[in-house]
Amino acid sequence: MSSKATIYGFLFVGLAVTLALIVAPAVYAVSLSFYQMDSFVGAPKWVGFANYVAVLQAPEFWRALLNGAIYALGSIVFQVILGIGFALVLNEAFPGRNLVRGLSILPYLLPTVVVILTFKWMVDGGIGIVTKAVEAMGLPPINWFESPGAAMASTILVSVWMWTPFVTTCFLAALQTVPQSLYEAARVDGTTAVQRFFHITLPMLKPILTVVVLLRAIWMFNKFDVIWLLTRGGPVGATENLAILSYRHAFNLFDIGGGAAIATISFALLSVAVLIYFWVFPLEDD
Amino acid sequence: MAEIRLEQVRKAYGGVVAVHGVDLTIRDGEFVVFLGPSGCGKSTTLRMIAGLEEVTSGTIRIGARDVTELEPKDRNIAMVFQNYALYPHKTIYDNLAFGLRMRKMDPAEIDVRVKKAARMLGLEDFLARKPKQLSGGQMQRVALGRALVREPDVFLLDEPLSNLDAKLRVRMREEIARLHQDVGTSMVYVTHDQVEAMTLANRIVIMRDGHVQQIGAPLEVYDRPANLFVAGFIGSPEMNLIEGRIEGADFVAGNLRVALPPGVQASGEVVLGIRPEHLALTTEADGVAFTVRVIEQLGAQTLCVGEAGGERMRILVDRVDSWSPGQSVGVRFPAAKLHLFAKSSGQRVETAKP
Repeated sequence: MSSKATIYGFLFVGLAVTLALIVAPAVYAVSLSFYQMDSFVGAPKWVGFANYVAVLQAPEFWRALLNGAIYALGSIVFQVILGIGFALVLNEAFPGRNLVRGLSILPYLLPTVVVILTFKWMVDGGIGIVTKAVEAMGLPPINWFESPGAAMASTILVSVWMWTPFVTTCFLAALQTVPQSLYEAARVDGTTAVQRFFHITLPMLKPILTVVVLLRAIWMFNKFDVIWLLTRGGPVGATENLAILSYRHAFNLFDIGGGAAIATISFALLSVAVLIYFWVFPLEDD
Repeated sequence: MAEIRLEQVRKAYGGVVAVHGVDLTIRDGEFVVFLGPSGCGKSTTLRMIAGLEEVTSGTIRIGARDVTELEPKDRNIAMVFQNYALYPHKTIYDNLAFGLRMRKMDPAEIDVRVKKAARMLGLEDFLARKPKQLSGGQMQRVALGRALVREPDVFLLDEPLSNLDAKLRVRMREEIARLHQDVGTSMVYVTHDQVEAMTLANRIVIMRDGHVQQIGAPLEVYDRPANLFVAGFIGSPEMNLIEGRIEGADFVAGNLRVALPPGVQASGEVVLGIRPEHLALTTEADGVAFTVRVIEQLGAQTLCVGEAGGERMRILVDRVDSWSPGQSVGVRFPAAKLHLFAKSSGQRVETAKP
């Protein structure tokens, strides 16, 4: 009996923590979206779906949705391609491999603020090493944060820089589970190295690829810190995604209900996207 | 179909020599088994024939071609791996067809070959399945089928039955033997299991520490082991090996004295070998007194560990129910079944003209 009591005890504590820290704030946030509030202290006024109507009618919402999608897609594609490439290299035997493997994870260990500041220094208009290099090559200066395209590119660039190590590590772990005899059998079967990649490596990586893309997609779609620290969503909203838009509504425009509505829509969209993803790419057990 | 010739084939990893110069000619259609304990170089030799390991020095020829420097795919070999190495995400059909597709064979011809191999191996009902959905024996058959469809010059099999349970191993052994009879292609087979080697091989190549110990037909190796290692490795239960010396026409060890066949050209320190199944029961007056210590009933036969003249040995005789530990019986050492080895070199000393 006592062991059963212990089990229920743990269960209760776990449930209580989940309710207090995850479910309750989520429910509160969703409920906020039905009120008009200009601060967290004033009296909220019930407005029904008015916040949603207002948000969905604003072009900035659709622009933020598109920006978020471009940012997420762009950074995932490069993270995955580079991640697989690095993992393949790190999976080969070469002198100092373990050292290089260790070093390769470093960017992932750096705090976001440090990465962003480093990047800003590198592209600084006066002293940045990238700026100087561009100058030395005789190319026109790049306005990293002033032109919309370059700003989006720099957010993607920094994200790829930061999270490719994570993707690399995942793929490297998966690669090490592929039996060498499969490659040997394929060599006997007459494949080229490229064919072995597409017929063995990639299919063997598929389960981890499915999970990694999903995780990266969720994190990138909700990404706040990188974009906020780099561009604050600018110039003129060119890099603003739903997370930033929601924050701006709630804390800069004193439209807490609108911010909550954007967050709720974002959450709903992501949920639907994840469900579709699992439907298209089921996590097979083989 | 082709003859395979290894000429002074050697493999070294840095300073460690895995295979010392191997010379071997595998005749067209022959079934050759590399036998030896793990680390003896048998798998490395096979993998060098396959082209999966580079040869440090020496030459490998398949038919008239020198394949030493060729990639595995250009050697026209097919290989069966211990862990099957089936492509897990492909169906059985695609596993069988893969090697042919990579060679850009006509799809109609591929279909004919795959169906034929599936029929030969009883895999017709499994073609749409994935490897995970098959049993170990079925997966091993797919691995054989993948080699079969290629119609190669030679089949290379690397411990193909090691992952199967004992009963299935016997069945698959028979299937491999039948397959060899049906297709008639040369097969090179690696195993550490002497029963597999004895039952399957036309010739056995026994290896140890990267050196070939003996090459011969199974019964030849059993009847005339070339050295002490082969004597101890081939045959189950193991051959009795007794250290002693030659005195006149007799072998002497402790209180044991065994008459040797006439004309033995040996002297000094030797090792006498006699297989447990060749020690014959007789009366104590006629033979040597053998004291029974441990009795193992095998069903049809009785295996008994005991002592004769102070030397520990085993005898294997037709079933005896009446023995008990401590009892003394008479055993005879038939002169024609004795093996002699020089103690210093471990090499065989001929006891009789073959």
